[in-house]
Amino acid sequence: MRLAAHRGASLSLIMAVIWYGGWCFLASMAFTLTAHADAQTLRTWIPAGLLVICFYWQIVPILSASMGSALDMRKLLVYPAPHGKLFTVEVLLRVATGLEMLLILTGGVAGLLANPATGGWRAVPRLLALGFTFILFNLFLASGVRSLLERMLSYRRFREILVFLLLIGLTAPRLMVVSDVQVGQFRGLDAFIQFEPLPWAVIGHAWLGGPVLGAVAVLCIWTLFAAWFGRAQFERNLRYDAVAAQATPRGTEQPRTGSWSEHFFRFPSLLLRDPLAGIIEKELRSLTRTPRFRMVFVMGFSFGVMVWLPLVIGRGAERHGTLEHHFLIVVSVYAMTLLGQVTYWNCFGFDRSAVQFYFAAPQPIFKTLLGKNLASLFFIYMEVLILIVITLLLRVGVRLNQILEVLLVVGICALYMMAFGNMSSVQYPRALTPERVSQGGASGRFQALVFLLYPIALLPVFLAYLARYAFESNTVFAAILGLAALIGGALYWVGTESAIKTIATRRERILADLSRGEGPVASS
Amino acid sequence: MSSAAILVRGLKKSYGSVAAVQGVDLEVPRGSFFGFLGPNGAGKSTTIRMLTGLIPADSGSIDILGLRLPEDEIEIKKRIGLVPDESLLFDRLTGAEFLEFVGRMYGLDRATAIERATGLLDLLELANDRKIIAEYSKGMRKRVAMAASLIHHPELFLMDEPFEGVDAVGARLMKDILLDQVHRGATVFLTSHVLEVVERLCDRIAIINHGAIVTSGTLAELRSGGESLEDVFVRVVGAERELERLDWL
Repeated sequence: MRLAAHRGASLSLIMAVIWYGGWCFLASMAFTLTAHADAQTLRTWIPAGLLVICFYWQIVPILSASMGSALDMRKLLVYPAPHGKLFTVEVLLRVATGLEMLLILTGGVAGLLANPATGGWRAVPRLLALGFTFILFNLFLASGVRSLLERMLSYRRFREILVFLLLIGLTAPRLMVVSDVQVGQFRGLDAFIQFEPLPWAVIGHAWLGGPVLGAVAVLCIWTLFAAWFGRAQFERNLRYDAVAAQATPRGTEQPRTGSWSEHFFRFPSLLLRDPLAGIIEKELRSLTRTPRFRMVFVMGFSFGVMVWLPLVIGRGAERHGTLEHHFLIVVSVYAMTLLGQVTYWNCFGFDRSAVQFYFAAPQPIFKTLLGKNLASLFFIYMEVLILIVITLLLRVGVRLNQILEVLLVVGICALYMMAFGNMSSVQYPRALTPERVSQGGASGRFQALVFLLYPIALLPVFLAYLARYAFESNTVFAAILGLAALIGGALYWVGTESAIKTIATRRERILADLSRGEGPVASS
Repeated sequence: MSSAAILVRGLKKSYGSVAAVQGVDLEVPRGSFFGFLGPNGAGKSTTIRMLTGLIPADSGSIDILGLRLPEDEIEIKKRIGLVPDESLLFDRLTGAEFLEFVGRMYGLDRATAIERATGLLDLLELANDRKIIAEYSKGMRKRVAMAASLIHHPELFLMDEPFEGVDAVGARLMKDILLDQVHRGATVFLTSHVLEVVERLCDRIAIINHGAIVTSGTLAELRSGGESLEDVFVRVVGAERELERLDWL
């Protein structure tokens, strides 16, 4: 066990080095750019850069389906800890969700210090004082935004709509930029970035020699406002009863028979026999009623389209012809990978301590794993079908043979994903709270593992596409895809056998991991 | 066919250097209502988990209903009803859906599972509740767990604190159901910290402490000189405390 923990820690360390190494590289780029740019360029781009930093700090943790580490109020309220101190801890935890931005900011500020146009080393007090205040402003604001969103996301049916609106809001500007909308139409955005009372513009201008005292005063007002907002939202969260908000309203309890949803849930019984049909039916019912799953499912088809669509329409299509041809497969595989966090990578996560039912039931555990995999596959293909409809509606240019190709390729990728997923589900099980949309999907160690496994799992299919591109032959493509399917099938068998053996030997450990609740600091 | 519902010999289980169960010998006759008592951390739940096949024993033998664990694991599981200390309920299902699912996992066809689930929910006064289990109270959860243990009509019930958190009416109902099952020939093996309940229900009792059985027998055999079960329990586990030491309290 100690060896496994050591191995896990090493893996986490490697992934942290890769991830933050990348951000350190970007920070060094920020240093180079700010150190060598002229005053006019800096005047234009520093406020924009600071706005992006602010935006990342607030929004990205939400888009990645987690909201970073946070205090779990329900566990802390019983202790006589002053709310002010709890709020301080909560604000400091926001550092964890914006560590990347701290690196970029440090690189940028260091570059400005090296740039004679900003006053060189004499500008140290000005740059640091305003820089620290900007960080403080972001921490307070992030705390408030997080508390507000956590509360809003706990309202029934609201979270999916909110996520959808957020995604549209985030990708709309990019969509307009890469499509045929003229740049001149974005002058309003430029004016907004440079609008002096706004914190990024104030800091940008003061850093480049503008009046410092006035800037400090304006920034302090913004920071005080953010602190008030953060504290007010924190206090509201303290008094908020999420369980009551999520309770089933009278008259909207689960329907018994005859409804369309019942027909949907009973569908596996038409094709399969028990216990497989029963397990799949249970998974369909459970997952569709799990807020966290529903949110990720919505993100699966919407986020992929929002991210990739701008690259294949309008002027983007000319630059990304290959991507346009493979648009459907890219968004489908993207949806499949996103769905993995709440399904196949940690397939017992939502069962938590109830996993022991599967250990106590008179059914081979293989059938449980297979049933869960089939349920995941069902949802993956639902995502693909939704994406097919979206691409047809958007007239991206998807043909019937491409649709068939996607259905086949997704199935093959799923074999690899689920082979690894079955192993990770029993090696790194982690209890997931269905109601908490903000809870992270997995431990750092597990996420690091997944990060490594994705390229491996997708490699065979990638090689098939590469071969088609290199040899310009569909026969070669089909042959390699067939081989990938055979290897995938064998890998699935080996992975599942390995998982079954692990369950037999580590049953207690799995149960203990899945029964464990979060501590007072819920991590992502 | 063996006359014992449970026959355990030399059962051992350790966690690292800590011996949770050290050489337990136990015989539970068929048709008995057996109370398995012990202080916290004595090894009760570990023993029950080994009996259900949830965790493997380090050594020793376990025979359940004449079948050997782990060789006949699947067959044994079909014939036992389990109410463990930790929840085995799937939170996002309604009570009816959960019971139907359990029935199907235990080999019942869907129609029979639905029919039995409806009857059990009616019996346990949960028939009109179509909320998901996550919204159930602790007592309701215990009642559903109890119903789940009954749905496949098992010969042996293994129950870890089945009445914990259940109100008086619910507990009475559950006790009546279990007594009725015993009268029909089933065996109940339960742990409980409520000694009055054990005293009233059980005909045989074993007390475990530090992973070993310290005494066992019928209630009459354990009581000597008109002691209550609580007196017997405190005496055999040596649990008398010197409260005076905490003079600040």
